[in-house]
Amino acid sequence: MSDSSASQAPIRIDGLSLSRSGRTVLSNLSLSVEAGQAYALLGGNGAGKSTTIAALLGLLPAEGGVMEVAGIDPVEAPEAARRVIGYLPENVALYEQLDAYENIAYFLALGGARPSRAAIDEALDAAGLEADARRLRTADYSKGMRQKVAIAMALLRDVPVLLLDEPTSGLDPRATADFNALVRQLKARGTAILMVTHDLLGAADCADLIGFLAKGRIVEEVATGPNLDVMALHHRYGEAAAA
Amino acid sequence: MALWLHELRLFARQRVAAPALLLLLMLGSMSVWNGLSEIAHQRDVIERIQPQQEADISAVADFVTLDGDPGYAAYYTYHATWDDPSDLAFAALGQRDVAPYVLRVNALALEAQIHNNERYNAELALPGKFDWAFVLTYIAPLVLIVLLHDLASSEREAGRLNLLQSLASNTRTFWIRRVTLRYLLALAVIVLPFLFGAAIAGSSIGDSLAVSAMTALYLTFWTAASLLVGRLRWNSAANAGVLAASWFMIVLVLPALAHLGINAAIPVRQGVELTLAQRETVHAGWDKPKPETMAAFGELYQEWRDTPPIEGGFHWKWYYAFQHLGDVSVEDETLAYREGLEARDRWTRRVGYLLPPVALQHALHRRAETDLRAQLTYQDRIRDYHGRLREFYYPFIFNEQEFSRQDFARAPLWSR
Repeated sequence: MSDSSASQAPIRIDGLSLSRSGRTVLSNLSLSVEAGQAYALLGGNGAGKSTTIAALLGLLPAEGGVMEVAGIDPVEAPEAARRVIGYLPENVALYEQLDAYENIAYFLALGGARPSRAAIDEALDAAGLEADARRLRTADYSKGMRQKVAIAMALLRDVPVLLLDEPTSGLDPRATADFNALVRQLKARGTAILMVTHDLLGAADCADLIGFLAKGRIVEEVATGPNLDVMALHHRYGEAAAA
Repeated sequence: MALWLHELRLFARQRVAAPALLLLLMLGSMSVWNGLSEIAHQRDVIERIQPQQEADISAVADFVTLDGDPGYAAYYTYHATWDDPSDLAFAALGQRDVAPYVLRVNALALEAQIHNNERYNAELALPGKFDWAFVLTYIAPLVLIVLLHDLASSEREAGRLNLLQSLASNTRTFWIRRVTLRYLLALAVIVLPFLFGAAIAGSSIGDSLAVSAMTALYLTFWTAASLLVGRLRWNSAANAGVLAASWFMIVLVLPALAHLGINAAIPVRQGVELTLAQRETVHAGWDKPKPETMAAFGELYQEWRDTPPIEGGFHWKWYYAFQHLGDVSVEDETLAYREGLEARDRWTRRVGYLLPPVALQHALHRRAETDLRAQLTYQDRIRDYHGRLREFYYPFIFNEQEFSRQDFARAPLWSR
């Protein structure tokens, strides 16, 4: 849909169909995201946005279609696919009894990585987590702070693909702006980003493509840019979400 | 290795994990200390009985040697028997706190002497013993349930599950590591106090390894049960509820029902009934014609058949003859009593095929030699010893030989 010659795209979904509990959630879904590109997937509640993310992570079995993440089929090799994916859930839940350093060290160790303290600091600097918060247990972290820790993990893993599930829901405007800036940084590093969101303004701010998901498929896909009419898009988004 | 350390740190900082393990360690240590104290007390009693036995015999000898009557010697001399505890008994006291481990017997009818001591305070026995086997069987599964019931569900409820699965290079290994860590910590916490106690008690390495292996198997069962419930993908509270109910049924209710069922299906006359039956025979012996009693005794001990007939009202050889015939008269009942107990024991072992707590207790008590079989073996040894005592006294009694002070020292001694 975004690019018919996207076989080399780090994220590629072609004709994906998937049901959950007997209900068709995704029906012939196709999209692709190039390196250094951010794709915002918008849709109403239950449209299948988070299911798309779970399918790319290899956590749900596809019934039809093809998926590739950095050339790896997550259905065939889910763990290999996860190794090249950075994933930010809607609510990044860290271990509250650990501080930011310990959380990062633990989560990355699960994938076999052992970053140095300096490398973690560098990633947290890039993610924008204040230095004096890093030694605190994450029980008192805001959602934005937890996201920054998760972003730092993605940076440390240096993965080519980032999947963001409702990343700005619940963030205040300042934190949202910080996050969008971070997405632009990641794009500049060549990361392919797929984010599912309700935040049309945020998507228009940092994504290159916006796809509207309804009834399990992309019903409209638009490129962002200076000429984008966000209000018209907002109107169509409302209609698509209602559908 | 680094991942194990990360997991350990994460685990140690959980709110419930460390206190639960600490509690198990504390209870395990207390139970071992309690077991060691109880066994030390029993050993002390056994040690003290021997010098007291010598003093007692000396006093009897002072009286008997006034006229050298062997009948009085056999009547008043009590000979000590005891059942030494094994080096593993501290861990699983079994029947040692209710069944006698010291018994002093004389040459009179034996069965009453054995079963006279078969009594205990039922109210004290009801709560059971606080030994290591109790902590392992009843408490350790609860701690394991606390550690494992929310293994995956807590991650799901916290919203971390997808993140964890997305980051773990091998999700299967990840879960295995988490389960193994909790399993090994619980195992270490329950086994370490035991091994410490085993070292103090001087238990063999084989026994220590065998008990450790039983513990590992038992905890494996509860780990598997916890994981099975976890696979149902219920929430943590539901998992905890189901596992607690399973513990209640498997550890408490079903073994109790099985016990009641076995006792109802295999009725066994109590030892006190044997005592009464034997005493009735013995007391009836006073009224039976002496030739009849001596003839019956002569059938059993032909070497004393041709001793001079009894003249007068009383003779020790007639007295000891009808005492022994009292034991002989309840041989069938004694055998039936024993077979009944053994049958119950066999069925308890079979119940253990279905109920791991029953199997564990049975195996631990067998290994520690504190079970029914050990108790019956002690009784058999007493019967054998009593036979040797009687055969020691009979020549004096039937040949009407004088019993001297030196003869007391020639009486058979109980061997360990």
